[in-house]
Amino acid sequence: MEIGQPGVAAGDAGPPMDIVAVVIFVCALALIAVEWVHRTKVALAGAALMVILGILDQNEAIAAIDWATLGLLAGMMVIVGLTEPTGVFTFLALRVAQLSRGQPVALIFLLAFVTGVLSAFLDNLTAILLVVPITLLIADLLRISPIPLVLVEVIASNIGGTATLIGDPPNIMIGTHRSELSFVDFIVNLAPVAIVTLVVVTSGLALVFRKRLRIAPERAREIGALDAARDLRDAPYVGRTLAVLVGTIVAFFLHTLLHLEPAVVALTGATVMLLVAADDVESALERVEWSTLFFFLGLFVMVGGLEERGVVDQVAEWLADATGGSSTVEGLVVLWGAAAGSAAVDNIPFTAAMIPVVDSLQGGEFDDGLWWALALGACFGGNATMIAAAANVAATGILDRSGQPVSFLRFLTYGVPVTLASLAIATVYLVLFQL
Amino acid sequence: MADLRDLPLVDASVRQTATFAEAVARLFDAQVPALAVLAEDGRLVGILSEVDVLRAVFPGYLADLRHTAFVEDDPAALDERARAVRGRRVGEFTRSVDALDGDESETHAAERFLHTGEQALPVVDGDRFLGMLSIAALCHARLDRVEEP
Repeated sequence: MEIGQPGVAAGDAGPPMDIVAVVIFVCALALIAVEWVHRTKVALAGAALMVILGILDQNEAIAAIDWATLGLLAGMMVIVGLTEPTGVFTFLALRVAQLSRGQPVALIFLLAFVTGVLSAFLDNLTAILLVVPITLLIADLLRISPIPLVLVEVIASNIGGTATLIGDPPNIMIGTHRSELSFVDFIVNLAPVAIVTLVVVTSGLALVFRKRLRIAPERAREIGALDAARDLRDAPYVGRTLAVLVGTIVAFFLHTLLHLEPAVVALTGATVMLLVAADDVESALERVEWSTLFFFLGLFVMVGGLEERGVVDQVAEWLADATGGSSTVEGLVVLWGAAAGSAAVDNIPFTAAMIPVVDSLQGGEFDDGLWWALALGACFGGNATMIAAAANVAATGILDRSGQPVSFLRFLTYGVPVTLASLAIATVYLVLFQL
Repeated sequence: MADLRDLPLVDASVRQTATFAEAVARLFDAQVPALAVLAEDGRLVGILSEVDVLRAVFPGYLADLRHTAFVEDDPAALDERARAVRGRRVGEFTRSVDALDGDESETHAAERFLHTGEQALPVVDGDRFLGMLSIAALCHARLDRVEEP
């Protein structure tokens, strides 16, 4: 078979291919939401079906893959994977626990702040994987329940990740898809609303949780006496690893001036870190989460199939008709729709599907307001349910393994009010400043 | 080449209704890295390894945490955890593994040890548990044969 030819020609007598594409995509979303099968298997099977059934051919499938997103993700995975053994993240989390001096409200705010900042400059899933285990240890040392702290951290990670191009997968997809949107654009347009939302939401959670986190003064004194920097002193390559990490973040800020795409910055940072701080390349590259990269790959092909068959344009037309062409209404529909879709499914596939819809809504013009609406909706929507963002799944999994499970319903009782409050703030922000 | 049933297998097993503390005591006495956990009818249910015991006696989040050099023991918290776990049934901590058959080769056993990461595996003959084979026993037997011609 020649490259570019569909595997099986779509017969005239068969169902219209646009309907087949929609059925495959909706079934894949449903399977991802209920988690009966691993999401990577679902995405790859959906992508394979679309190509085999001739919804899109091999060349179109390859062209549909956003390689810049995959490059950015892989680069950051290597950078974070090589930074983690230094113990710097454990040091940060323990240090803020010491700074709180046993005051529950201070502990909540400091952990939310650290998680939010780590999410913004690493990504929200990584931040959770780094911070939650040490939080369980801190809670044990303080003899308090870790669940309120972990819930605060999950929520802070999704809000903090909203602030930058690399903070949350939806932003990575949007930022690599629209090269007009730089790293600094994300910070200028999203960080202020993310910071306000983080402060408001953390205040609310502190009010709810403060009485459940009574800390005995002697426990606070004991944790204050721990040598937080001990692991940091013993780890190899700390100085050079942190220098490359900081250099990479600075390069993200300057990428427009340097004429380098964010994916190039991440992959260059990863390469430099491999050169200066990795003794064994094989084990360093084991930090790359291949299942995540293949999940994205499958999603891009499925969404490419929807685009090829005109489904995306149809949805965009329907949206434009429903909103009467008003950019304000369009933006708010994108914001709340993205949040609802992310809450019900997972913000990554939903954003992958919405990106071409927003492209189509804009026609040939470029309006950054709609992109900020999509980013805010997808990232904030990630807080609503346990399955809405990968960070939520990871955190509740760690809690479960440590014998302190959080039920879907319990997560919902905090996640939904937080999401509604976040979206209300985002709505005001978008209407006043962006739409 | 000897079959696995000819190697020095250790009769290290515990009933799944035994308490966790009884199982750990048996593990300590038997001096193998894992016990076979058996049903009341003697059928193999799974194993309880030293690592399984470690995970149960110490906080589960340690597996997700790499840096703990700064931690000092909190005896009261560790005692509380030990009290909570010692009376539970060993069946709750049992992991299922693929057992080795008595007529299988030493080379196959070596390959299984390398790829499962287990330090000891149960050897069975049909439904009958023959004993636990540890890596040390497998290698010791192999070296012993060449020592005495």
